[in-house]
Formats: sequence, structure tokens, C-alpha cells
Amino acid sequence: MSVGEAPAGAPAPIARLKDELASLERAYSPGHHGLWSARRRSELVDAALIELYDAATSTWDRAPRTALVALGGYGRGALSPHSDVDLLLLHDGAETAAVAALTEQLLYPLWDAGFTVGHAVRTPAETVQLAAERLDAATATLDGRLLAGDADLLAAAIDPVLTRLRDDVDGFAERLANDARDRRERFGSTAYLLEPELKEGGGGLRDIHAFGWLQTVRDRPLEDDGVLRAAERDQLAAAEEFLTRVRSALHLESGRRTDRLLREQQDDIADAMGFRDETRLIAADGLMRAIFEHARVVDALTEDVIIGRRHPERAPDPVKLSNAGDALALIADAAEHVRPLSPAELDAVEAIASSAELEWSDAIRDAFLRILRAGAGASDGLHALDRTGLLVQLIPEWVDVRCRPQRDPYHRYTVDVHLLRAFDRTSRALSAPDTDDPLEVVTAGHIRERDGALLGALLHDIGKNGEGGHVAVGDRLAATILARMDVEGPTGELARFMVAEHLLLPDTATRRDLGDDDLILDVAARVETPERLAALYLLAKADALATGPSAWTPWRQTLIRELVAKVQRVFERGEMGVEVAERLADAIDMVRELLVGEPPPEVERFVLRMPRSYFLSVPPEQIARHYSTIEPDLGRHDVRTSSRPGSRLDTYELLVVAADRPGLLSWIAGALSLAGLSILTAQVFTTEDGVAADLFEVQGAFEPIVGEERWREFRGVLRKAIEGRVSLEHRMTEKRRHYPERSDTPVTVAVDNDASDFFTVIEVGAPDRVGLLYDITRTLSDMELDVHLAKVATYTDRVIDAFYVRDSVGRKLEDAQQTAKVESAMRARLEG
Amino acid sequence: MKLITAIVKPHRIEEVKEALRDIGVNGLTTTDVEGFGRQRGHTEVYRGAEYQVDFVPKVKVEVLVSEDEAQGVIDAIEKAARTGKIGDGKIWVTEAEQVIRIRTGERGPDAL
Repeated sequence: MSVGEAPAGAPAPIARLKDELASLERAYSPGHHGLWSARRRSELVDAALIELYDAATSTWDRAPRTALVALGGYGRGALSPHSDVDLLLLHDGAETAAVAALTEQLLYPLWDAGFTVGHAVRTPAETVQLAAERLDAATATLDGRLLAGDADLLAAAIDPVLTRLRDDVDGFAERLANDARDRRERFGSTAYLLEPELKEGGGGLRDIHAFGWLQTVRDRPLEDDGVLRAAERDQLAAAEEFLTRVRSALHLESGRRTDRLLREQQDDIADAMGFRDETRLIAADGLMRAIFEHARVVDALTEDVIIGRRHPERAPDPVKLSNAGDALALIADAAEHVRPLSPAELDAVEAIASSAELEWSDAIRDAFLRILRAGAGASDGLHALDRTGLLVQLIPEWVDVRCRPQRDPYHRYTVDVHLLRAFDRTSRALSAPDTDDPLEVVTAGHIRERDGALLGALLHDIGKNGEGGHVAVGDRLAATILARMDVEGPTGELARFMVAEHLLLPDTATRRDLGDDDLILDVAARVETPERLAALYLLAKADALATGPSAWTPWRQTLIRELVAKVQRVFERGEMGVEVAERLADAIDMVRELLVGEPPPEVERFVLRMPRSYFLSVPPEQIARHYSTIEPDLGRHDVRTSSRPGSRLDTYELLVVAADRPGLLSWIAGALSLAGLSILTAQVFTTEDGVAADLFEVQGAFEPIVGEERWREFRGVLRKAIEGRVSLEHRMTEKRRHYPERSDTPVTVAVDNDASDFFTVIEVGAPDRVGLLYDITRTLSDMELDVHLAKVATYTDRVIDAFYVRDSVGRKLEDAQQTAKVESAMRARLEG
Repeated sequence: MKLITAIVKPHRIEEVKEALRDIGVNGLTTTDVEGFGRQRGHTEVYRGAEYQVDFVPKVKVEVLVSEDEAQGVIDAIEKAARTGKIGDGKIWVTEAEQVIRIRTGERGPDAL
């Protein structure tokens, strides 16, 4: 088809046709050319072609037997603005020269005027032969319509085709089904793809035409034996009208025949069709939603009738449902048996859905949960709820995500289709975990609240309603929805948790440092239980797989699995859990309260910088006292100390803060020893930004009262050691000579790599003596091990120390040779 | 012109982007990649479920710059990507013989 000026010298019918098409185009805005306009366009072309045909054949003395036939869409009397004009010139095979001349006389003016013409010149026998070979030729012939010429010739072409098809209705239906499947493979879905193919896609116009062909071959209305319901006929008609309008608008806007609606065209077409921006839906999304709604109906009917070969029901049993509880129970039964609803059942359910407002009841909730639990049939059950209108009745919030397109590079589906797919994936992971993913197998086994996990997956993106900030919105909506369902307790809690935290694992895994032990503890504190961790993993995987083919990459999988494994081990070791998380939150709250006079941003910075283990092992009052020593920024060579009487008689609490570096702990231990101070306990912490905060309980080695003099000496030695102005090793050797060892209890050294994912734990037990901690830590620093965390305790004459260490580039000591070296060096030093 | 390629830890990519933006780099390409260097792979164990992780996830950054900008870009990436721990990645520089901006047909430094 082509509009515009006819070329100079065009035959009168063509010139007139161009004029008439131009005025038809002007008669409606580009968004309002529906089926009526398509029919009118077809009639105008008919008139011109008949005139051309008559003019050509009237000059012949002996006209050959010919028939001019409209095929395809033109045959059905519907032409979109730039559709091909498909013509068949039938002839009896006798006068080929004359037929060739006639063809030229018909086609040349059309071509010259810019029409795209699909043409064939055949005998009836050739037509019958071709229709037998190819489905598209058969269906085009079914649409054949005589424009001019010999009607018997057309009958000779069509009748044998029809007869043959009617002899094997099932065979024809099977070919239609195969074609529908192939088109879905090749063109994708019209019902959710952001750049849908309006004609050939799943749910597109070709699907609608297939119903017409099936009816023609069956030779009676599809409604007559219950293959199609009356309501469904209306839905098909409405979809055909709407999709024709969009397709026509696309032809007019782009100026050519194209059936794929590209993103960049959607704004203009939405505008032409009268869509306007709404508060939470831009015009183009409104257009896409309308296309998806219509195409979804067509797609579902095609799945049922054409692909699923819905069986004719000669006398369908009427299905009686008295309320919504019955309707849901019926769908639940069908889902549990993985069978589609019959037309009569669909009628009955739709009658309920449209009759009144639904109120959740125990019966409805129980049936709804049965649908979710139905495993293989669960998705079909939800689709049945969706197509009958029950789903939006039960969950009004669903309206805002239904058929809503997602405009980002990753999402392939509308929000609601994404939710249904993520649900389906989760449901399958729970009932039959993927054995290729051992983590899925293990996590699926951790879920006790299966209903909660299913509801969480179904609702996780319910907040994508156009408001923005979908996680917070989703959390709020999920709370409302679950309360309405009366799903409370652990089930409701797990579902809500999943909605609120569904991005926790993917965001943390891909954006944060998984080598940071405190990060893992924070995630564990937020997740609290292995079951919730399992639910988040299954959802993260389902979410990615339901997004599009490229979202669950090995890259992402590796990161998410590493995170899940580390958090799980934190639970298993008891480092974090419900109680610990509570204790941690309480401790931090208490610290905040005690520091209420300090500037809040700095207090928060302090809370974030300090390791979780610090808050868990040091009393809040003590932490509040440490604040002023730790918080201010620290120079490379700064050392800050603070001391005060300890909790026990004649003990002192000492805090040393300095930039962390290899050897620091040994210098402090050495300086304390040289200043005549014995270490009873020690706890070593390292902040996120590399500041060591080392906490000691000390007492005077020679006199109970430690005066300022000794503290000053300690600080002096330490400073000199940090600045490299004194050899502690030399002075300690000297000092040790004067204090021969008293005990011969054995030295024990144990290296443990299982206690932490981040550090090797070295446990040393040794008889207490002067400078012991110095010797131990000096050994560690000689081996270039960095002490991140340490706990030192003295029990009458015996010291048990645990050091959490890493090598200079942050690795654990996993090499057996390396650990053996540490052990022997430690023994050599301590046993002398 | 130089093509600067860097392999960095995924969680440093925001810092790298920020640092490059700060020195006026207005275009870069990132790709999720997997591989191994000195860090090697490792085995992840999760309650009996065991994964051999042969390749470690990283992000590849590519920046095309003029000769005189190259050093600044290298320094910025190095600083932003460093954590001091194993697996911080690598930066390498190659000569870019020709650069073409497809839209306009500009060539050489004009296309940067």
C-alpha cells in the first residue's frame, strides 16, 4: 500500500485510488485506523483493481479464462496502511501470453504508484498442489476472495483445498498448532516483550487469524461445540481491533510496512493513540500495557484452543459455583491435577469473579495456598486466577504490576510475568531442587515455612508500581496483602522478610568486599537465621533467572554463593544468630545512648568503623570511655593511650590506639614489660580503616600501685619503638636474663583454619613469664603475620592466647608448610 | 593514543569510576569477567555442597585516552583499586593505533 501523489500518466483508477487513500488517511488521526479503516482501504483497492481488470480484458477479442483473487489479509478485506496487496491471478493454462500481458497491465500501474504487491500467477491445479505443501499457501487460499473474472476458476482452486482440509481436520489443527509454536520461537511473545512483533508474535494478529481458519475448516462456528466461549470470541474481536490500530499507527508513523514496535516509536504511537502520562504510568507504558493485556488473552486462548487443542464439548456440563471459596477450590483442584480448566469451568469462575467484591476468608486463603503449593500445576493455577480476573480481585495491588513493562537492559518480562516466573522457579526449587546446584539442594532443605517462601517469591517485586523505591513500597504493600489474607506468624514473617530484603544478597555480593569479616557479620545479623538465608538465596536465583537469559551469570553465581557460604558458616559457628544479633543491636544502642552528647555523625562513623567483635565483647560503658581516644583522626606516627583503674583490685585498664602495622602488638607488649607492667588480659581490635585499638588489663609487676612514672616510661618506649629508635629485642633479651623461668609446663601451639573464613587462628598456651606476650607476638611479626584480633587470658601461671592472623597480602595460612613453620618458630622461641 | 585495561575487584569498581570521573575521563567500558592470576581459585564448601571456583569474578575496565592523559588515568585506577590484599588486579597499557567515533566519523584524538 502506498499513499501520496500518483505518478504523472498513471491510469485514472490508480490516480483516483491514491486520492481516496489519502483522504481516508486524513479522516482519522494516525492512532485510530482500526478494522473499519482497514476494510475501507481494502474496498478502495478492490474498486481500482476491478476497473483495471475490466479495462484490460475488455479490449480482447477472445478473453482467456482468468480470475483475479485477493489473498491473505487483503482477501479477508482488511488492509493496514502499508500492508502488501496480495493478488493471485488464476488462469486455465491455455493462453499464457495473454495472461502475461494481463498481469503486466494490472501490476505495472500498481508498482509505478509505489504499492507493494505480492502476486502469483497460477492455475487452480498449481494452487491446490501448493496448498497441500505449505500451510501458509493453504491458509492464504482459504482467505481467497474473487475480485473479478471467472468464479468457477476460483472455486476450482478453493474447493479441493477445503475438501482436503476438511477430510483431516485434526491434521490441519495440528499444522496450525505447530505453526503457532514455531512463530513463538521465532518472533517471541507479543504479550510481554518490550519490542513486540504485533503480527507474528505469540498473542499477535496471526494467532487471531488462526481461529478464523480453524472455523472455516471445521465448517461451523467454534462456539457451536464449545471450542470457543462467547466471551472469548468478544475478547478476540477486541484484541484484533486494538492490535490493528497499533499496527496501522506503526505503519503510518514509520511510513513503511513494519510490525515490530520499537522502543523509540512508542512515545509517538502512544501519543497518536491518545495515551497520556498518568501519575505512576507514562503514556508509552500505558500503550504497552494495553497491548500486553490484549495479547495475553489471545496468547492464552491460542495455548488452550490452537496449541492445547481444546476438546469440543457437545453438551458441556454446567458448573455450579456458589462463592469465591468454591471458585478457588476448583482452581486448586485443577492445579493439583495439572489440568486446564474446561470452558464451562472458566465461565463459572468468571461469573464469580465479576459478580461481587471479594472478601478474604479462611476458605479462600486455604485454597489460595493450595494453589501455591501445587508444584507443577501451581503456575497454571495462578494463570487461571489471572485470566479470570480473580487475582486482581484478591490482590488489588496486582493491578499496578499487571502488564507493566520494565524499561531497563536486563528485564525481559513485565513486572507480573516476572513475579509469576520467579514464583514458578522458587516452587520448583522447593519441590525438586536442581541437582546441578548443590547449594540449591541444601538451601531448599532449610526451608520449613514453604508457604512463606512461595508468598515471598510471588510478591517480591509487588512494589514496582511506579511509585519509586520499590523495595520500601513492596514491604509496605506486602504487609497489607498478607494481613488481608490473614497469613500471620512465621509464614507471614518470612514472606515479608523476603520482599524487604530480596536485594540484600545480590547487592552485597556484587558491590561489597566479601573478604571483610564485619560485612559478613552484618549480613548475618540482618538475616538472623539459616532458613531466611536459604530463602534469600533461592529468591536471588529465581529473581535472576526470571529477569532474562543474561542475569544469572557464572560471575554473579560465584559471588552470591561465596556470600551465602560465608554467612552460613557464621551461623554454624554461632558467631551470629538471633540472640547475638539482638545482643549486638542492644550493645550498639546502649553505646549511642551513652554518647548522646557527642555529634551523632561522628558516633555513627565510630559504630561503623569498629569491628562487631568489639561491641560484643567490651561492655558499653567501657566503649563509651574509649570513644574520645579512638574516634579522632590519627596520624601515621601518633600513639594515643588512656589508662584507669580496672575492675579488679590493683589492676588497670589500658587502651592503646595507633595506626596498625606489622609488629605493633609486640612493641606494645615489649614496652609494657620494660615499664614493669604485667599483662593479665588483652584484646586486640582493628578498625575498618586500619587503626589498631588494643585493650589491656595490666598490673604492676613489682608494686600494686602503678604511678604516672611507669605510664610515662611505657609511652616513651613505645613511641621510640614505633619510630624505630630503640631495639626492643635487645632490651628484652637483656631484661629476661634477670628473671629466669620458673615453670616447666609444656608449650602448646595449635593452628586452626576452620574457625574463620578470613583468618587463621593461632592458639598458644604457655607458662606465664616476663615478656611472654612480647615473645609470641614478635614471632608472629617476624613471620610477617598481621594480627587482626587477639584474646589473651592468664590463668594462674598459664597464659592462653588466641590470635586471628593473616599474611601480608590478606591471605589465611592454608599451606601446611607455612603453618608448620609458624608452629616450630613459636616453640623454638617459647621453649628456648 | 593508549588503551588502558585494568582488572579490578568488583567492589572497587565504583571507586574506580569515581576516581576517573574526578580527573575528567568521560568514557569507559566495564565488563564482568572471570579469571585467575596469583590468587588462583579456591573451593567453596557449604555444608557438604562443594564448589570448585576455578575463576575468580573480577571487573575489567577499559579506557581510551591520549598519550598525555595516560599516566593520570593509570595512577587514578591504581589508587582507587588498591586494598593491599591478594587479588587487587592488574593494569596494562597498549598502543591504540586508530580510534573512530562511529556516529561522526571523527578519527584519532578527535574521537576520544
